[in-house]
This record gives sequence, C-alpha cells and structure tokens, in this order.
Amino acid sequence: MGGLLQEVALAGDDIPWLEGQREKGRELFLAQGLPTAKTEAWKYTRPRDLMTEDFILTGTDEDESHEEEHCNYHQGECRCGHHHESQKALSFPSYEIRFENGIMQAIDFELPKGVTIKPLIEAIYEEDAVKSYLGKEIDMAHYPFAALNTAYMEEGVYIAVERDVSLTKPIAIINHTHACRQNLMAHLRNLIILERGAQATIIENFNYSGNEKSRYFNNIVNEIYIGRGACLRHYKLQDEAYKAVHIALSRVKVRENGFYESFCLQKGANLARNESKISLKEEQAEAFVNAAYMINGWATVDTTTDIEHLSAHSKSHQLVKGVVGGNAKGVFQGKIHIAPNAVKTEGSQLHKALLLSDEAEIDCKPELEIYADDVKCSHGAASGELDKEQLFYMRSRGIGEEEAKQILIDAYLTEVINTISNEDVKNWFSDSANINTGEEKC
Amino acid sequence: MSNTPLLEIEDLSARVKDKEIIKGFNLTINEGEVHAIMGPNGAGKSTLSYVLCGKSGYEVTSGHVRFKGKDLLSMSVEERAREGLFLIMQYPVEIPGVAVTTFLKHAVNAQRKYHNQPELDTMDFMKLLREEGRKLGISADMLKRPINVGFSGGEKKRLETLQLTILKPQFAILDEADSGLDIDALKVVSEGINAERNEHNAMLVITHYQRLLNDIVPDFVHVYADGHIVKSGGKELAAEIEKNGYAEFTKEK
Repeated sequence: MGGLLQEVALAGDDIPWLEGQREKGRELFLAQGLPTAKTEAWKYTRPRDLMTEDFILTGTDEDESHEEEHCNYHQGECRCGHHHESQKALSFPSYEIRFENGIMQAIDFELPKGVTIKPLIEAIYEEDAVKSYLGKEIDMAHYPFAALNTAYMEEGVYIAVERDVSLTKPIAIINHTHACRQNLMAHLRNLIILERGAQATIIENFNYSGNEKSRYFNNIVNEIYIGRGACLRHYKLQDEAYKAVHIALSRVKVRENGFYESFCLQKGANLARNESKISLKEEQAEAFVNAAYMINGWATVDTTTDIEHLSAHSKSHQLVKGVVGGNAKGVFQGKIHIAPNAVKTEGSQLHKALLLSDEAEIDCKPELEIYADDVKCSHGAASGELDKEQLFYMRSRGIGEEEAKQILIDAYLTEVINTISNEDVKNWFSDSANINTGEEKC
Repeated sequence: MSNTPLLEIEDLSARVKDKEIIKGFNLTINEGEVHAIMGPNGAGKSTLSYVLCGKSGYEVTSGHVRFKGKDLLSMSVEERAREGLFLIMQYPVEIPGVAVTTFLKHAVNAQRKYHNQPELDTMDFMKLLREEGRKLGISADMLKRPINVGFSGGEKKRLETLQLTILKPQFAILDEADSGLDIDALKVVSEGINAERNEHNAMLVITHYQRLLNDIVPDFVHVYADGHIVKSGGKELAAEIEKNGYAEFTKEK
C-alpha cells in the first residue's frame, strides 16, 4: 500500500518515449501535489478524500493477492456477500468493451472494417500513430490528475476510426468496479482518434457492484482527436459507489468542420469531477457540451468545461442542469475562450440548478475570455427551488408529495436530457435519472 | 338528495398570516346537493376553498371540518384528494415539462392505489382520456402539451373540468369556474360538470356572478360576506343578488 504515487513496474518500460512521459507525469504531479483551497481551478472541489496513504493500484501484485483471499469475483460471488453481476450493461446493441476494476477485458466481438480497438499498451507497441498523439495535448503542469494519470499510463483503450468510416453501433466502454474492498485506485488512459470524415458514438459508463460503502478512486484521461469533417458523439453515465472518488478529464481537439457532441450524467460518487477541455482548432468546428447531475447525501459533484475557440466560425453550446439535495454540493465551472482571430464564432453557456434542501449548495463560476470582435457569446446561471404552487396543484389531485417532487425533478432534467441526439442513450439516461418520458409511449 | 352529510363545516375560522379571513363559518352539505356560495370580491371565497384543500399558508384557528365523517383538517393535501375532494382552481398553475397525460396518469393511479385498486392499463387510460377530452373539446394534441403552459383561460378551465370527469371526486369545489370563459366554453364546461352530478356526490360552487348558476343550477345559495354566511336561500337568491348586488350584505358590517 502507499500514497497516490507508488513505485510499480509498468508494461512498456522498454519504450523510452513512454517512460519519458511517465517520468514527466511523476515530476509534474509531485511539483503540484493535490489541489488545495488555494488552487483556483479546484477552489470549490477539494479532493480531501485522496489524502490518505492506503491506495492499492489495480493490477498490481497486492491487488491480485488480495483478490485471491478476499474477493473471488470471477466466480460471481464475493466474500463481502454481494453477487457481482456480469451481464451486459446496455439494453441496446453496442460494441462493448469492459473494464473490471480498471483492467481491460478481452474483446469478444468482431471489429468492423476500418476500426481498431485494442488495449492502449498494445497500441503503443503496434500502432505508429500512438506516439504522435498520446499526451501531446495534455497540459500536465496545470492538470495534476492528468499528470498522475500519465505517471501510471498503461491501462486504457485505443480506438481509431479510419477515414470516412461510419460506425452504426455505439462503442460502449463499461468501467465496472467490484467495490468489495477499500482503496483500489485505477488510472485509465483512453486514446480516441477519428480520422477525416469518420463518425462514431462512444459511451462511457462507470458503475459498480458490491459494497456501496467501499471507497475507491478512478482517475480517467480521455484524449480525443476529431479529424476534418468527423463526428463524435460522446456520452457518459457516472454512477459510481457513493464513497468513490471519480476524476475525469476529456481533452478534445476538433479540426475543421468537425463535430463533437457530449453529454455527461453524473449521479454517483462522493467526490466527482468531469472536466472537458475542448479546442475548436479550425474553422466551422462545433461542440455541444451538455451535462446533468443529480446528487444527494454529502457528495460533491463537479462539472468543469473549458472551450477554446481558436478559429473563425467555430461554435459551442453548453447546457448543464443539476438537482442537489441533502448536504450535497454541485459545482459548475465553465470557461469560454475566444482567440483574437476567432471571429464570427458563437459560444453559449447556461447552468441551472434545483436545490432540494436548505443545506444543498451550488457553486457556479462562468468565465468568458473574449479577444475577438464580432462574436456571439452568452452565459447564464440560475438556481431555485421546487415551485410550491406546482407541488400544491399536483398534491391536490392526489399525487403524494414525494412523487410530485420527482415528477417536477424529472421535468426539470428532461430539457437537458432531450439534447442527447442518440435515442437509445436518451432513453437510457432518462431511466437512469428516473425520468418518466410519459405520453410518447402511449 | 339524501340527508347523509358529506361535508360538515362547524364554526370554522382561518387566517392568512395575521389576517383573519374566515370567521365562524358554518355549512353542511349532504350527498346529492349542489350549494353555491356567492359573495363580493375580497370576501375570502378562495381562502375557503384553499382551507378545505389544505394549502399551506392558510391557518385554521378554530372549528372543525368533517368529510364523510372523517376529520378533514388533519389530512394532508393528497389524502383529502384521495378521499374524494377536488378543487377546480380559479387560476390553475402552469407546469412546464409535465405533459397533461403524464400528470393525469400519476393522479389517477395515486388515487387507485389509495383505494387498493390496480393501476390503469396505459392503453385503457389513453382511450378514456381521449373520449372524455373530446366531450370537452380537448384535442389529443393538447393532452400532450405541458400542463396549462400557453393555454388560454378557456383551455385551462376545460382541463380542470377534464380532471374532474376523470378523477370523479365525491365532492368538488368550483372556484370561479367561469372566469376566463366565453359563452361557448362556459356551456361545454358546465355540461361537463353537470354530467358528473349524481345522488352520491356534491358540489360547492363559488362564484361572484349569477351567470354560472344558470348552467349549473344549485339547490342552495349562500351569501358570503365578512368571513361567514350572512344569508341562505334557494336558487332564487342568486337572481336577487344579480339584481340588487351585494351592497345590502356588506353594509350590515
């Protein structure tokens, strides 16, 4: 056991450039340390849960031996008394990639033509392209968890879609944690490359089984490259155990006429941050970056976006809605940066939150940095409570108070969930947020 | 009409914040009866309907209300509704994002569950909704829209009436049910309401004008002023008020 940064043997230590990146990651993480109250980018979200010395890195000897004596989850039963499910996570067809406790499982489907999916470490050895992409856009000096992730860079998936190839089914990355013991940590690095004109849908799902009180730590970095005219739809459902720590960064680069749609629904973890740093590098690049969160208890759930408009006629749209109950805290930090040459760009951002209790908290920090003239930019933030008149109206028709509240919460989130363009995902996320879509089914 | 009391209000007083609005109000309504309460604006007619429904912010300071023999005032808002109390509101709220059908399905099933009945099958429910809607001139399209959002005054009252015909409460309070209605809509709405009248249920029609009472003809008319009933009579009392106004009742104070 040890702290966040441990001496472990990693695959690929014979590759100098990889070792070099890892070493740089170690250095830059050590230089920054964990964010504190003084770290501007983390001032609302304090990763206190990580200040312990007892993390077990997944896939290490310690992890394996522990598994033998305590958690024989491969037999489907864990000594913690919980059954570990292994059924498909999605109810609709997909190319499903599974990670179990941070370890990628063998792929059991035929790859479509023009698509490469393999463990990152294999790709590092086998794919020439990897070296020119991996880590290239990650500013480790300002992203301590990305630096930490890089120090351990080994596990993860490499997905490449060749020029003009369109995938009909989504690729689903299912990250399942058997939360049957304490303090596992996993650092996942996914590299996703869409060549010119390629089209794909990628779904990330973080779920767990076993003891929901277990603490574990997932630290994910996605590097996403969207080529000219390519289109990526990227959906994520974060449903971690309620003491888990989940920190994720998606670093996205969109080239000319490229299109990126993302939606992240967060409903689990005790401390979670989903961060997107998106560069609209060339003209007509466009991004929809929407999100929702529904949290309770003592959780802190953070949605952070940073969208750089680096070229003319680029567009970004953000709608984020949250529902916060109990003593929980919702954080939204949204930055739109428009470079001097990025004229005729459009950037819109709206964050709305519903507070269900007096103790619930919302922290919202919109930032606009506009260095160009002739741009259309807007941002807004609103928070409120459930409408008492609406609650009375529903109750006066016999609907119980809790049910009435749920109906109003569902209605509140429906607006943002409806921005998901994939119907299967929209329905899945609606159900996950307990949203009743009602009449369409009649 | 029978002599089985459905709603018994005894010496009811209630206030909103520090203001006493209802003062020593007494009224008994039996099964099968339609009562009208008429009164000048600001007399507290809506307050009476909110107190009976249990809306927060309306504090009962004295008195008793029994509904079907049970203590109404100790019940929650939803319990009162499930027991069969219904209010057609003067100003129904808009609820963006909640479709009429979704809402009504929740309401119907909440009440069915309370009475240990199985939930309605969605297909059957939709059929019922469309049929009842058609009678009230409510299109299938309107049923899909969010509750009252962008509805005209007439559409809102039609929707209130639709809820009455679907939920079939034993006791309905109509609070200024005719406000915002043109003559045609008034006819449709009052026909819808009249169709629900039977020997076991009862209604309390709260109105400022006699107009509605030409269509929904009451058995008893009460004049309400200064927080209580000042005069009671038959339906002819309504015509009298229409002619002479409320002046003679309000100056009694």
